[in-house]
Amino acid sequence: MRQDPRLQMIENNMHQGVLATYGFLGSDTRSLADVLQADQIAVHDLGTDHRALATKMRSFTAAGLKALGVPVTVNRLYQVTVEEFKGSIPCPFGDNYQARKVLTQVSSPTKTLYWSDLNLHMIEEHGFYEGIGARYRIDPRAIAELLEEEADRR
Amino acid sequence: MSIVLTVFSVSLISTILATLVVLADKVLNNYGECEIDINDGDKTFMVTGGSNLLSTLASSRIYIPSACGGKATCGLCKVRLGSEVGAVLPTEEPYLTKEEIDANVRLSCQVKVKSSLKLYIPEELFNVREYKAKIVRITRMTRDIKEFQFALVNPASVAFKAGQYIQVVTKPYANIKESVMRAYSISSLPTNNQELEIIVRLVPGGVCTTFMHEYLQEGDELSLRGPFGEFYLHEGGDTLVFIAGGSGLAPIKSMVFDILRQKLDKKLIFFFGAVTKQDLYYVDLFTKLDAEHDNFQYVPALSQPDISDEWEGEIGLITEVVGRYITDTADMQAYLCGSPGMIDACIRVLEKAGLSQADIYYDEF
Repeated sequence: MRQDPRLQMIENNMHQGVLATYGFLGSDTRSLADVLQADQIAVHDLGTDHRALATKMRSFTAAGLKALGVPVTVNRLYQVTVEEFKGSIPCPFGDNYQARKVLTQVSSPTKTLYWSDLNLHMIEEHGFYEGIGARYRIDPRAIAELLEEEADRR
Repeated sequence: MSIVLTVFSVSLISTILATLVVLADKVLNNYGECEIDINDGDKTFMVTGGSNLLSTLASSRIYIPSACGGKATCGLCKVRLGSEVGAVLPTEEPYLTKEEIDANVRLSCQVKVKSSLKLYIPEELFNVREYKAKIVRITRMTRDIKEFQFALVNPASVAFKAGQYIQVVTKPYANIKESVMRAYSISSLPTNNQELEIIVRLVPGGVCTTFMHEYLQEGDELSLRGPFGEFYLHEGGDTLVFIAGGSGLAPIKSMVFDILRQKLDKKLIFFFGAVTKQDLYYVDLFTKLDAEHDNFQYVPALSQPDISDEWEGEIGLITEVVGRYITDTADMQAYLCGSPGMIDACIRVLEKAGLSQADIYYDEF
């Protein structure tokens, strides 16, 4: 897909060592436009949207934050641990958003996912789940599968 | 032949245009000599215009706090201007309150020096220096926390208050092409002024902490800037409560040791919260201090000790433990350092116990 210059500038910010040691694109050789489009299609196929996924994820983070680093059980199924680190990191999309360095780990009986506050913002506002191979890449299908485990139990 | 002529013509035109751009840049962006006047004449000097105010001041050895090195991503480099420099930029807006904008406070990294400028900064910043320092010892404290001991090379000593912080200037490494600056509280005593000790927790993927934890070696030289910060002992308070978690222990260690060294007539209680025993550090140091000083009490607390920890100390979230201990807040001050979540929760507990917000000082991550 042809990428407009603005998106190209954002992609440049996403490379390793610009804003984050490991960058946001991992080993993905696709353009940012292609990464965004592929995940947009995946989310559409799941019958949801970026904001809805981010809202669910945010609820786990909020529950974990209250526990000050202690693992908590959410909805009697998920083990959630939230760790806060010193500092903040700017959103590579150049929207002046400063994400606190907060890491959330959510484990279900079958899988474990990690995300940062910046992940939540980028999913919610930009539909960006990071490139394949990126340290904090979260496949939207994996998020949906994690959330479905609770629905399956009901 | 016509292809060669075309290529030659295009090249010639490109060269002429590039030359014009360079010349125009030199002429149009030549702001000449500008006078910088700080705090109504306390310090005045001439600079060459054209650069941002943060780097212009740094080149004149006036170091404004900055964690991002001028990328408008930390919001620390605020100065109040007494001159008009144009509208606030979109890059500054997230970091400035309405009151600050009304008072002409700006991010110095976003203000270009185009003419003479008047500005106001805290007087303490005149004492901030850049230090060359050598790493003399790196000690692992926990799975993700290391202690770094620096010997100052030039200047060879530093004056700071217990609780203040310095900025570490990293060097390019691996795929990191630029230096970055990050702030770390000083954990050593101000009297030991030829060395500095800091405590750094590894942030997964963090540019500076990765450098510190994985690339920095004993014997390496680094630049440090400081001291900065207003998190230090304030007047008053017969009883001082210190609460920390993780690397938030650093300024508290410096303050506690400094107060005990000065034999100040104060009662000190230090609460340190961790999840399991493997997240505790300096336990022997503070336990020994507790045994040696009648006016110092050390209360480490684990929120979720492992059975293998065989923990006999306090158990519970640090807020619960503080709540159990603090019932009388008369003549009390509290000093908190840790994550925003921990600090917010501790402030609520202390206020509930009757401590006024004015007596709670904190250094938030």
